[in-house]
Amino acid sequence: MAALPISAHPDTGRGKGPYTVLGTLDGEDESGACGIPVPERRFIARSADGHHTMLVSVPLPGTDTDRFLAEATASRHLLGPWASPAAELAADGTDSWHARPYLPALSLPAALRAHNGPLPERTVRALGAALLVTLVVGHGQGLAHAGVSPGAVLLGVRGPRLTCFGAVRAAAEDGTPRSGLPGLESGSLPPEQADGGRPRPLGDLYALGATLAYAATGHTVPERREIPPSLRDILTRCLARDPANRPAPAELLDVLSPLPDTGGSAAADGIPAAEPSDAVSVQERAAVLLTSDWLPGSLVAALARQSARVLTTSLPNRPADPRG
Amino acid sequence: MLSPLHHDDPEAFGPYQLIARLGSGGMGTVYMARSPDGRTLALKTLHARIAHDADFRTRFRLEADAARVIGGEHGARVFDADPRAETPWFAAEYLIGPQLGEAVEVAGPLPEASVRRLGTALCAALGQLHHSDVVHRDLKPSNIVITAEGPKVIDFGIARALGDDRLTRAGSQIGTPAFMSPEQAGGLHHGWAGDVFGLAAVLVFAATGHGPFGDGQAAELIYRVRYTAPDLDGVPDALVPVLARALAKDPAERPTTAELRDQLHEGGGEFADDLPGAVLQQIGARAEDIWHVQHERLPAPVMEGATGPPPQAPPGTGKLSRRQLLFAGGASILGLAGAGGGAWALFVRGGGPAPAPYHKPTPGPSVSPLPKKKLDSLWQVQLGGPLGYESPASPIVIDGLAILPSRRAYGVDTASGTVRWTTRIARSWHLASDGKHVLHVVNHEQPPGVTRGLARLDLASGKDRKEIDLRDPSGKLFSVQLLGVSDGIAYLAVLRRHKTKLYEREMPWHVTALNLDSGDERWYEPIPFHPAESDDLHFLAAKVAGNRLVALQHMNDDTVRVNARDLRTGKTVWDQPLKGVEPDQARHPLTSDDKHLYLGVGRLRALRLSDGKPSWERSGRYGPPALKDGKLYVVEEGSGLRCVAADNGKHRWTQRDSYGSRAALTSRPVVGTKYAYAKSTADGVLRAVSLTSHTTHHQYRTTGTRFFADERNKVIIASDDHFLAAFPLR
Repeated sequence: MAALPISAHPDTGRGKGPYTVLGTLDGEDESGACGIPVPERRFIARSADGHHTMLVSVPLPGTDTDRFLAEATASRHLLGPWASPAAELAADGTDSWHARPYLPALSLPAALRAHNGPLPERTVRALGAALLVTLVVGHGQGLAHAGVSPGAVLLGVRGPRLTCFGAVRAAAEDGTPRSGLPGLESGSLPPEQADGGRPRPLGDLYALGATLAYAATGHTVPERREIPPSLRDILTRCLARDPANRPAPAELLDVLSPLPDTGGSAAADGIPAAEPSDAVSVQERAAVLLTSDWLPGSLVAALARQSARVLTTSLPNRPADPRG
Repeated sequence: MLSPLHHDDPEAFGPYQLIARLGSGGMGTVYMARSPDGRTLALKTLHARIAHDADFRTRFRLEADAARVIGGEHGARVFDADPRAETPWFAAEYLIGPQLGEAVEVAGPLPEASVRRLGTALCAALGQLHHSDVVHRDLKPSNIVITAEGPKVIDFGIARALGDDRLTRAGSQIGTPAFMSPEQAGGLHHGWAGDVFGLAAVLVFAATGHGPFGDGQAAELIYRVRYTAPDLDGVPDALVPVLARALAKDPAERPTTAELRDQLHEGGGEFADDLPGAVLQQIGARAEDIWHVQHERLPAPVMEGATGPPPQAPPGTGKLSRRQLLFAGGASILGLAGAGGGAWALFVRGGGPAPAPYHKPTPGPSVSPLPKKKLDSLWQVQLGGPLGYESPASPIVIDGLAILPSRRAYGVDTASGTVRWTTRIARSWHLASDGKHVLHVVNHEQPPGVTRGLARLDLASGKDRKEIDLRDPSGKLFSVQLLGVSDGIAYLAVLRRHKTKLYEREMPWHVTALNLDSGDERWYEPIPFHPAESDDLHFLAAKVAGNRLVALQHMNDDTVRVNARDLRTGKTVWDQPLKGVEPDQARHPLTSDDKHLYLGVGRLRALRLSDGKPSWERSGRYGPPALKDGKLYVVEEGSGLRCVAADNGKHRWTQRDSYGSRAALTSRPVVGTKYAYAKSTADGVLRAVSLTSHTTHHQYRTTGTRFFADERNKVIIASDDHFLAAFPLR
């Protein structure tokens, strides 16, 4: 069965900042993406002149809008092709929202639904490498993502986009237990963050491990034997309860995107090198996996259908008369 | 596929505002357009010059009617039409996918399952048309669009309306009789059985990459269509009898669409499931690329030698100057990543009315201004094409301006990070600059193909000067790489293919020298064959050095050669292998002075431009060298920055601290007056090494991979495919 490219939503036709909602990226119920929690509501929306179609995020009802906007502001510092920084956001004292230009995208849960099951290993590896590199670049800037979950990952034609920056921090301040808070998917919430600990880079490794396990099996807490053999050990290690037992990013990258030759360890001086070789940048190691066939055909077709549908969706409640 | 509007294209048809051109043929033009309620669609018009001809108008109206009959399942859904307008038009769904001809050209012949699926769907499409007493008459690979949902039939019988004029034009994909029925070729009545013949011919093309009657002169083709047996070589065995019957000369012997559908049918499931990966990729790329299209309009052509003020927009095209439109387009790309208010400020500074229809929401009650970055850089702008788009071209930094080539070229003020101008460029390998201009290659859609020109962009204004057509006298040009420019001569590698196919193994490239003022070709010399299946470009790096054109060539066996040509004759003066060098390592801008070419891939060496002999060599592993004041600065593996004399290779100094071991061999150092700068990719840090103490003095965090010095504004420009950033150069 094909995933709904975009769904109608009670908010259709309402304004989010300067944009009018065309539909939601996720399901019309409030339970997130195909039943998987998402820490924000995501709409496809368009400017009144029709020329700008955006992916607009708003906080879940009843959550703290100040914390939501603070994380959106911080997300503007994210770099790299697979990050999803807010391009615009609400001014103080107005409804809370942030937005970036729309591109055809399926959330990871919607992708599994469109594909009728877990994704192929090549897709999981490419996805994992791109998300990992995005996280590592953020870590280099002192930014822990704290919001990696299946619902936060969008798959596009040329690569993923990692959204929901700071969702864990936004859900509750450090020191407050976060288990079971709305929008947080329990399997990808690192135990130390669930207990109220400050999100740190190794927490992102846990959440990434759970998210990749979801992509490969359909569950964020899979049985070990469900995971493809070549990823079994490393993903299990990502999911270690003790952050100290989780792998370094470089180890995970070596498994997801092995270097062609025997990966010589060039990590001199005990630097936590995110890359074992100077010759190939980490970004390239993710990019080489994002070949033009990194997505299964069913997902490319679903993205093309979504694109076609958004192209032909008109702004609601507008007079047919041109140029007003 | 998509190209900017021409200067004389209208603003709108009916309520539909034109955004870009999708294509143009003998009868009319298809635009991408936007409705007042925000939909994006394809709008087809009749050319203004034939819009008064009653016969053409009738044909156009019939086509719009036929498109309505076939509907959204088998064609493009028609939203609106005005056949009575001065220039008639109709607006239909924008179909996401390649034409069958493009799909086969890129992916090669389709597998049997895809051919069957395609045939089944086309039988259903024709069945529906025939049921409504409409005959297509012009089924051919370019009239079928492959979408994720299934094939869609477009362009009903319109080529035939052009009559004999088109039929006599041989070889081109439009108007070729290769897919015509024998009765049509003989001037007889073409009924539904004629469409069945056309459908079978299309399926032969899909299965083999060639039509059942080959290619050639129209007269020969018409003869073969009428009298010779179809060539079914390469058609899967099980399909041969089915297609042979459908290609019978006698219409009465052919099956109906329903019979043919039964014979073709196989399996169930979704159409996309059986498509080859390469075709799905074309569909996917289009599904995303349409969202990157900017409203843009080309300037009116400029007369040679014209002086005075830049051309004004011609009457009737609106009130916007090209400059404003370019900024409007560029700014919304900038908006993608929150690059700052710079581009918007240009509207104000540029004067004139702001182009309201293309406005993005500006800071106001509901949108907050962009926050300042807390990064180490003086400024940073994120630019560039779609996600994952990598430009093969290196940025140029010259005299206070950084030019980042991506899907567009951006001219960025190195002092402030302000985008001064943006312009379209073709995805060409290289930009080249002579200090006053930037040369770049532009694409023009000109059915049945694309033509390319060499444009000269004024560095200060971002305005294009007159362009040189790069086609040879027979009008062929398949691909081009810009190698360099010097003294008014541009050096290019060109591929002018004659009847070669994309999937042919070897491509006949040439190097040529063009006089930029006259457009004359000074010389035209062949270069070694290049593997067609390789996406890599033939030249890894090239430069005009002294009186030589020096190039690093990626050979068929994955080795690298250095080739030096005489600038005046184009003849190779010397040519030698670069042993032990991987092609990927050699992709750096070249460093030279008037005596030597300095290469730092693997060993560090100085090759004499005169004969290619090494003046000196140093063993070890090095990155690309930078040259300043007679000294080379280069990263040596394990020890870091090193300075050697350019004339004799004598050691001057080596970095003295332990950071040196982390410095990357992948980027060229940048040299200021007090420090030399080198990046370590291990920890993402650009370190400044003092030229006197030879130790690290300070450092900057950056994700940039390429670095350039701008002496004028005393900044280091760092770049990646998607951003430019500046750091102090001291």
